[in-house]
Amino acid sequence: MFTLPILAEQGVNGLVLGSMYALVATGLTLIWGTMKMLNFAHGEFYMLGGFGTYFGLVFLGLPPWLVVPVTVALVFAVALAFEKAIIGPLMGRPGWDISTVVATLGAGIFLQNFAFKFWGGDFLNVPYMFDGILRIGGMAFAWHRIYILALSLTVIITFWQFVKRTRFGMALRATAQDNEAAVLMGIPFRRIYTITFGLSASLAAIAGSALAPIFSVNPWMGMVPLIKALIVVILGGLGSFSGAILGGFILGVCESYSVLFLSSGWKDLISFSLLIIILVIKPSGLFGAKEW
Amino acid sequence: MLELNDLNVFYDDAQVLRDISLQVRPKEICTLVGANGAGKTTLLKAICGLLPVSSGRISLLDQDLLSVAANQRVSMGLSMVPEGRKIFASMTVEENLKIGSYVKRTWHEKDELLERNYELFPRLRERRKQLGGTLSGGERQMLAIARALMSKPDLLFLDEPSLGLSPKFVEHVMDIVQSINQSGVTILLVEQNVNIALSLAHRGYVLESGRVVMQDQAHSLLNNPHVKEAYLGM
Repeated sequence: MFTLPILAEQGVNGLVLGSMYALVATGLTLIWGTMKMLNFAHGEFYMLGGFGTYFGLVFLGLPPWLVVPVTVALVFAVALAFEKAIIGPLMGRPGWDISTVVATLGAGIFLQNFAFKFWGGDFLNVPYMFDGILRIGGMAFAWHRIYILALSLTVIITFWQFVKRTRFGMALRATAQDNEAAVLMGIPFRRIYTITFGLSASLAAIAGSALAPIFSVNPWMGMVPLIKALIVVILGGLGSFSGAILGGFILGVCESYSVLFLSSGWKDLISFSLLIIILVIKPSGLFGAKEW
Repeated sequence: MLELNDLNVFYDDAQVLRDISLQVRPKEICTLVGANGAGKTTLLKAICGLLPVSSGRISLLDQDLLSVAANQRVSMGLSMVPEGRKIFASMTVEENLKIGSYVKRTWHEKDELLERNYELFPRLRERRKQLGGTLSGGERQMLAIARALMSKPDLLFLDEPSLGLSPKFVEHVMDIVQSINQSGVTILLVEQNVNIALSLAHRGYVLESGRVVMQDQAHSLLNNPHVKEAYLGM
């Protein structure tokens, strides 16, 4: 019953799902590593990515190559405004570590209800951006899933090169490691925070956009990815980039195979068990809290 | 070059600096000595903009510094080697240096500056691929100084460069400070090691409980009875 092609197909599905977890989790860990805060509205940027994609593809009938970048750019802009208006005023004030949790949680609920009022609570279907199926040796892979995998790998690699090599990326890492020392280098760390927040939201939006055709679009679609990303981030070690990537893939593949071997109802049980086991064995996560 | 007038700084409700007035003159090595807790580090941080100033004036090359954001003061030619070095531990030595040239003024010439600093600190060239966090105390101090030089400062602050270093290495660091000064950089040196600081500097200020209690030529301070008794243990 579990033939090799089925195992391989399900493995690829796991990698596809995992690549999305990795993107969303990288966004979370980016903010944690730099700003030392958790963003509970992160899932809502994923949701906005989904809605933007729906709006562009279905409502306006525009082609994907236009819709995806414009959606991501718009979410980036929304996130910049979000950071300026909501996070910025709290940062550095007494109790900011708690107040930012409450503020992002509240803003997340606001965005969900905003989406509900604006688009309604229906589950909206988005067509695959790439039709057709790739068949190799008895295995079948939807082209859209291949697109997701290729997109996320490209984004992850590009993003890491950006952080490693560019002037902004170095300033980001310096700020993450010691923001007072960063100021002494002439780095405007508040601006770095704002842009970092925008980049983080963009990663979530890319995932929301890519997954929109697979899961349907609705105002609450961001909640599950947020929780999964939190698992991944803790699994990989808070603040660790490679931990978020590998943690994402591990979770995706585990879930995918638990659906195959058990049933889809077991999926979340497996992911939380995995989290608890790893936390018991290695409380700092798989990769520890390596800084950026 | 740098002029402070009646500077007052508070930590919460506690006043740490009282009516500080001092000048650093072009091309000199000026030192700020005093006991632990006298307010030396606080003063440097306030000038760099890391701490809020409640009243007073700071001007650098006749420009008001307090109206300039902390990070932009680097572009005005101010650079600091902070207490405890504050090396970026997860960045390589070379990345630490490059980020020192972050400001627009120097970013485009970071490669030449890197070369110049490697010549000044050959040890850093050997270690250039190593992470900052793996360096020894002395290497970190050299890296912190080189990193501060990467923004081509006109005025360099050094906060306790001798701290935690072996006596032999302290001498080496002081030689470097002197050669930096001879290349045209004005220096404000904060030290607990009063003997070393006053031997190296041209002029000095003595800080006690947040006030300037004495100022003079360094060699005069070195022979001052109060300084001798309170700081040199003679």
